[in-house]
Amino acid sequence: MTLVRNEFRKLSTMRAVWLLLAAEQAVIIAGIASLLVGNSNDPHDPMTSRQAVMHVGLVAMFTLLLGVLAVAGEYRHKTITDTYLATPKRGRVVWAKVITYTIAGLGFGLVAAVTATVVGSIWLSAKGGSLYLGDTEVWQTLVGCILWNALFAAIGVGVGALVRNLVAAVAVALGWIAVIEMSMSSLFGSSARWLPFAAGKSLGHFTPDSDLLPQWAGAVVLIAYTVLFVAAAVSTTVRRDVT
Amino acid sequence: MTDIVIQGLSKWFGPVHAVRELGFDVPAGRITGFLGPNGAGKTTTLRMLLGLVRPTGGQALIGGLRYVEIAAPRRVVGAVLEATGCHPGRRARDHLRILAQVTGVSRSRVDEVLDLVDLTDAGHRRVGGYSLGMRQRLGLAGALLGSPDVLILDEPGNGLDPGGMAWLRGLLRDHAAAGGTVLVSSHVLSEVAQTADTVVIIGNGTLRFAGPIRELGDSLEIAFLRLTEIDGMAAASGNDASPGKGVAR
Repeated sequence: MTLVRNEFRKLSTMRAVWLLLAAEQAVIIAGIASLLVGNSNDPHDPMTSRQAVMHVGLVAMFTLLLGVLAVAGEYRHKTITDTYLATPKRGRVVWAKVITYTIAGLGFGLVAAVTATVVGSIWLSAKGGSLYLGDTEVWQTLVGCILWNALFAAIGVGVGALVRNLVAAVAVALGWIAVIEMSMSSLFGSSARWLPFAAGKSLGHFTPDSDLLPQWAGAVVLIAYTVLFVAAAVSTTVRRDVT
Repeated sequence: MTDIVIQGLSKWFGPVHAVRELGFDVPAGRITGFLGPNGAGKTTTLRMLLGLVRPTGGQALIGGLRYVEIAAPRRVVGAVLEATGCHPGRRARDHLRILAQVTGVSRSRVDEVLDLVDLTDAGHRRVGGYSLGMRQRLGLAGALLGSPDVLILDEPGNGLDPGGMAWLRGLLRDHAAAGGTVLVSSHVLSEVAQTADTVVIIGNGTLRFAGPIRELGDSLEIAFLRLTEIDGMAAASGNDASPGKGVAR
């Protein structure tokens, strides 16, 4: 418990965290604006509302980076030495970070949801429509996207602990989403829906966008990835030398 | 009284035999200097002692326990390694508060150690703007938070001005006089000769000497060069502990 509180204190004293949070809001605002600035989307269609709040899920890449930063950033600035000197049972450090950053990712998701709801409402009412908050599917999308943020933060902790080099870890995380998973989905077609980012979209209820998994299955798959990454991170962190 | 005991300690990094069957004691109540040329295995030995690097063989014990077995390690051992760092965007006081929490000491202790290392006025500043000497003092402040029995310091004099050096010398002497254990690695032999009671000299991962400085027979520098000479000739260039080699050519 002390370790989790300690991780929260570290998190709140890093400027990069607040910059990531600000950047996330900027992306949501820009994304929703570009969705509604044209006339192609009907402001009276609940699907337009859902597309607006889907941005909450797309910014999960920021919580992925947040998680990466939590571990690889400690190696980068050599604060990891002090961290492990205080807690030589290193597996406990990884677990504390997973818990802390899952909660922080949830927080990022909630803030993003508020931003998207407010910005979406303003844009849609300016267009004569409204954000369909009474629509179950809009809520399913919002909640799924918030959870996606939380799980991606935990996966980020795993990636950061496995790769350790900050620049390499960020490159791996962003490269996976932007390049590798994209090309794999064009190679393997619908089997690519089992991949992490696609599972996130399934959890974020991006249907009927493409051939995604049902929302519950997306959740299960993404949780499975999280467990896998955390387990790998704990087992390697405990064994590897800190030099 | 918390002694350090190192027995048959070995480490292989892939094909490199960094530390070979190393064994020595660091008794409480004295300042022990830990010396060796670059690449002799000092840092690796300290890291094994602190549970950061896993030994291939042998063991390193602090008060009879491996580091990982110590219940509240920062209250028993205060360590500043070369690789100890601070997040540059963090304020010094925040950095120490983070450490205080996991050390298990109160916030008021943070102000005490800041005062002790003379950083009270700079405590609100971000560490990124600190000089090397200030960072070194901040590192020491972090190590002292838990009022540990054992101090393990890697090149603590780096970046300290003459006043800072004198202050550090006084701190280490007081600590040893009060029954504490002090293990300090350094390349500044004149400083070690002034401060330490006992020295451990290693070369190529093996023990070359362990005992009181006066038993060396020569001055510390001459003895050091004699004891580690063989490494200077064997090791690749870049080994700055063999100044004689350059002169001879």
